[in-house]
Amino acid sequence: MFIETPGPAAATAAGPAGRQARRAGSTRPSWKPYLYIAPAVILLLVWTYWPLGQTVNLSFYDWNLIPTKPKQFVDVQKYAKVLNLPELHQALLNTALYILAFLAISAALPLVFALLSRKVQGKARTVYQALIFVPFLITPVATSAIWRWLFAPEGGTIPAIAATLGSPMGNVFRDPNGSMLAVIVIVGWQMLGFGVLVVSAGLAGISPDYAAAASIDGASGSQITRRIIIPLLSPSLVFLCLMTILLSAQWTYPIIDLVTQGGPGNSSTNIYYLLYQFGFRNFDAGLSSAAGTLFFLGFGLVALVFVELSERLSFYDN
Amino acid sequence: MGRLVLKQLSRSFKNVTAVNNISLTVDDGDFLVLLGPSGCGKTTLLRMIAGLLEPTSGSLELDGLDITNAPSKKRDLAMVFQSYALYPHLSVAKNLAFPLSVRKTDKQLVKERVQQVAEMVEIGHLLDRKPKELSGGQRQRVAVARALVREPKAFLMDEPLSNLDAKLRTATRQELAGLHRRLGATFIYVTHDQVEAMTMATKIALLNGGQLEQLGTPEELYDKPASVFAAGFLGSPATNLIDAELSTSNGMVTVMAPSVEAVLWPGETPRRDAVLGIRPEHLSIHAPSSAAAAPNSGAALRGVVELSENLGSEQIIYCRVGENRVAVRASRSERWIDGSAVVLSADAGCLHLFDKASGRRLEWQPASVPAPVA
Repeated sequence: MFIETPGPAAATAAGPAGRQARRAGSTRPSWKPYLYIAPAVILLLVWTYWPLGQTVNLSFYDWNLIPTKPKQFVDVQKYAKVLNLPELHQALLNTALYILAFLAISAALPLVFALLSRKVQGKARTVYQALIFVPFLITPVATSAIWRWLFAPEGGTIPAIAATLGSPMGNVFRDPNGSMLAVIVIVGWQMLGFGVLVVSAGLAGISPDYAAAASIDGASGSQITRRIIIPLLSPSLVFLCLMTILLSAQWTYPIIDLVTQGGPGNSSTNIYYLLYQFGFRNFDAGLSSAAGTLFFLGFGLVALVFVELSERLSFYDN
Repeated sequence: MGRLVLKQLSRSFKNVTAVNNISLTVDDGDFLVLLGPSGCGKTTLLRMIAGLLEPTSGSLELDGLDITNAPSKKRDLAMVFQSYALYPHLSVAKNLAFPLSVRKTDKQLVKERVQQVAEMVEIGHLLDRKPKELSGGQRQRVAVARALVREPKAFLMDEPLSNLDAKLRTATRQELAGLHRRLGATFIYVTHDQVEAMTMATKIALLNGGQLEQLGTPEELYDKPASVFAAGFLGSPATNLIDAELSTSNGMVTVMAPSVEAVLWPGETPRRDAVLGIRPEHLSIHAPSSAAAAPNSGAALRGVVELSENLGSEQIIYCRVGENRVAVRASRSERWIDGSAVVLSADAGCLHLFDKASGRRLEWQPASVPAPVA
């Protein structure tokens, strides 16, 4: 007669299972996890979502920011007004131009710089990348001061060089055709380092095995860059483009305020600077809030598209 | 064709010499395994052959052509990386097509060839997947298929099985060996796993500290280790190595060490310090009282059983002999209690002798000149 040998599970099941059952009985929903995330949630609520809610709320009122003055409900009038303002159209166009310029300066150019700086080896590379990154750490006020001197019509380095080349420059900040370009140069100089940093970090994360494998497979240097490195870098590039689109209006804001105040004649303004003028120069809180709400929705949409795009482009390098 | 000649190849990194003056020839159709412990320079040597590292000195020839300074894309080699290096943004089919498409091969031809190699390594059903959707074993197959898609002069493999589990590794090992037989191509394969080396290689180059320790067939390396290092590296458990002294007694060459005596063969030799090597499977274990414990020739080691390890199919008995711990491979039917005194014996023909100072193998020449040759 055969006797089937019992599996080890039957013999030992009572121990851990019994213990587990007891533990399950005493389990209550714990408040601890909420405590851990509370500081972050509270800060976000107080500094981001509460003001956001207030902005949306304010956009339906007419109010001049004086606390004693009552707010007057005006429905969507402020939205209708802001959409028809020619200043807004100018600012939107300018913002689009700024974004295009910064996509070139702080996304495309850094890609070229980072790819070229791969050829620099060892300590020299760190020094080189640090040099490019340093302008990012300088405050906008100091940056503006330096560039104001550089662009100064009397004795500034840049007009002096332009003069010797045979094309004398006036005060670029007072020139409707030059003021925006000047802001782009200054902000681009500051932001280039950030882009190089992001792309370099992306490059450092790509295993050198891919390039080695491709070169043994017979690919040339440019084929490796085009067909392996840049596709693998695309999550970093998408991130950089998203940052550029969302933040270029913010990056330019302090420089505009410090060197051109949006002028001459709104030629260098952007949407955030306009929004600030609506609110704190013209004291029209409703108009400013309505514009802010519209920009928030617009940029939110852009961000959604890019988040989706970066999801699709992540390869999760093994 | 794929005949590779390495001439005095060296590579240093700052002050460290990773590969030191290695010369060897890989004949067309050879399966050469570069074997050695971590840090012995085997991967550095392979990367120099691949063209991923420049040699500090020396030269490389492929089919009579000097390729020392040729970039890797001009060398017509294929390589399987330890990480597999499958391009993560490309599907399996595009990964396989890559080596052909960068050479601007006709699209139809590429498609046929990809299909062909995919079927050869049984990944035809995976062609549309991305590498991240594959298991470890499937990735390994894709990496091999990408190497096969062209017909390169030689296949280079850098520990391609090290990321697989034990069972899959055995199966893949046999498939790779079968692939080598079918293709008849030159393979250069880096591993630290002696089982992979013994089972797949037609030739093993054993490296130690950047130097070539021994070059030969797996049989030669196992049966006639050229140095103490070679004897200790190949075989599991490792060869028992005992410091001993060679001398002559009553017209016989003998080896003596504490608790060890061995009578080898008629002849005369001056005294010299040596290392005696005996593989665990060549030792048999006896009670001190048995007749077999006092052999007329060969080695007798007196010791005490310290520990027995049951490996299922056999057991390893570890005995304390003088200062040394000696491993004996024995059948499971042998039963020895820890602490019992035993005598271990081995035939003279199974003993390996090495010079103590140089570590090189000593061979006996029974002819008119009875001097050991290093």
